[in-house]
Amino acid sequence: MYPAQVGYYRPDSVEEALDFLDSNEGKVLAGGQSLIPMLKLRILKPKYLVDIGDLKELSFIREGEVASIGATTRHSELASRKVPGLEIVQETASKVGDIQVRNMGTVGGSLGNADPSADYPALFTALDATMVIRSKKGTREVKAGDFFKGAFTTALEPSDILEQIKVPTYKGYRQAYRKVVRRAGDFALVGLALLLKMEAGEVKDVRISFTGVGERPHRPLEAENALKDTKLTDGDVSRAMELAVKGVNPPSDSRGSSSYRREVMKRLLKNTLEEMRGAS
Amino acid sequence: MQVEPGQRVRIRVKVNGVYYEDEVEPRKLLVDFLRENLNLTGTKIGCDTSTCGACTVLLNGKSVKSCTVLAVQADGKEITTIEGLSSDSKLSPVQQAFKDNFALQCGFCTAGMIVQAHYILSEKREMTEEEVRDMIHGNICRCTGYQNIVNAILDASRRMRA
Ligand SMILES: Cc1cc2nc3c(=O)[nH]c(=O)nc-3n(C[C@H](O)[C@H](O)[C@H](O)COP(=O)(O)OP(=O)(O)OC[C@H]3O[C@@H](n4cnc5c(N)ncnc54)[C@H](O)[C@@H]3O)c2cc1C
Ligand code: FES
Ligand code: FES
Repeated sequence: MYPAQVGYYRPDSVEEALDFLDSNEGKVLAGGQSLIPMLKLRILKPKYLVDIGDLKELSFIREGEVASIGATTRHSELASRKVPGLEIVQETASKVGDIQVRNMGTVGGSLGNADPSADYPALFTALDATMVIRSKKGTREVKAGDFFKGAFTTALEPSDILEQIKVPTYKGYRQAYRKVVRRAGDFALVGLALLLKMEAGEVKDVRISFTGVGERPHRPLEAENALKDTKLTDGDVSRAMELAVKGVNPPSDSRGSSSYRREVMKRLLKNTLEEMRGAS
Repeated sequence: MQVEPGQRVRIRVKVNGVYYEDEVEPRKLLVDFLRENLNLTGTKIGCDTSTCGACTVLLNGKSVKSCTVLAVQADGKEITTIEGLSSDSKLSPVQQAFKDNFALQCGFCTAGMIVQAHYILSEKREMTEEEVRDMIHGNICRCTGYQNIVNAILDASRRMRA
């Protein structure tokens, strides 16, 4: 299996890449871990691949009150680095695919691909991250909540490059990314990003986001609001479980039916909240 | 570097310590480049869909699935294949451990499995059985049931620490 004929351009800078994309029909290639399989299946037949995978200026992790992560930072680099206040990023990255995929694949590629079962979209939705996007026309910022438009569809135009992700830190939050898979290395059947801040036995803040349950990451704001200022009793948790699945109609496929996925959503939320409640 | 569709481009890679140059189309996969252009047929194509890890090689020291990397992406980089792990017909500790632990049956997964084992042992010398299983889950074996492969990797890690 091999891709259809394709041209190739390897720029020395983001600026060069943007110039090329502005005047040619190109497709950005980062780690290729989603794009190359699609080229091999000939689902995509771009005229040129624009290889930004080795651009140093896009590969970085900067700590701070608001951290920033360069788009071509490899999953493996995120998986091996603890960023203070963003421990959940490391946990999520270490659960993407397998080691070989993590050594090539990039965080920006996963976001640009926007697979409805991918891990980072739910993560960065929970973290309220901001995507910094560059094109010939300039730089713009798009909130994670507005970035994912649907399955495999984002706010990125063909001539855009996602430069970095800005992520506010969550010091003092308990953080967890959990995913249920049928086989090791699978995409999530359901994945959950959860951040919880407790003070004097009460929920001060909570952020919940699911993957695998619809076309886009699902952030159940009603469930979050219902949990705030509670003592996280069993009753509070049960109420949040029901609100988390309210109005959600997950897909049915060979890996699980829609109602099964709803059940998994509830259980994941319950187990993770109970775990966090216990870990004081 | 710019290549038009249908055109070829000269790339230069260092494979198992030796520099090679050749002309490739941008769509040429790294695994096909290694097998067809360089005749290094130790690296296998199992699934050709990024799933099985039979095609695992080291690219600048990191394990990757060479069926999911373009040869042009490897331009200017270093590659290690199964052929590069032993020297002077002496097996590497991992290869020896695979042999001693009967960690292969049909052998189709073996090259990728051993390259991956080398990689994880270069990252971490001491591992629990559970960690080994987690770190090789990108490599599928349809014969052994994994037990002897896991034993071999644990054995190799003991030998390399001794
Ligand atoms: C076996 C296997 C298992 C996997 N398991 C998981 C999993 O469990 N969870 C998970 O979330 N993912 C999983 N993935 C997908 C993996 O995370 C990919 O690495 C990732 O989706 C793509 O990143 P990439 O750098 O390889 O991007 P590429 O494949 O190069 O690109 C993907 C898409 O994003 C675009 N793009 C890339 N970078 C940019 C940029 N900076 N700006 C604009 N557009 C850009 C490309 O044009 C393309 O459309 C798996 C993949 C494989 C092969
Ligand atoms: S042949 Fe490359 S992963 Fe199976
Ligand atoms: S020995 Fe046959 S696939 Fe592993």
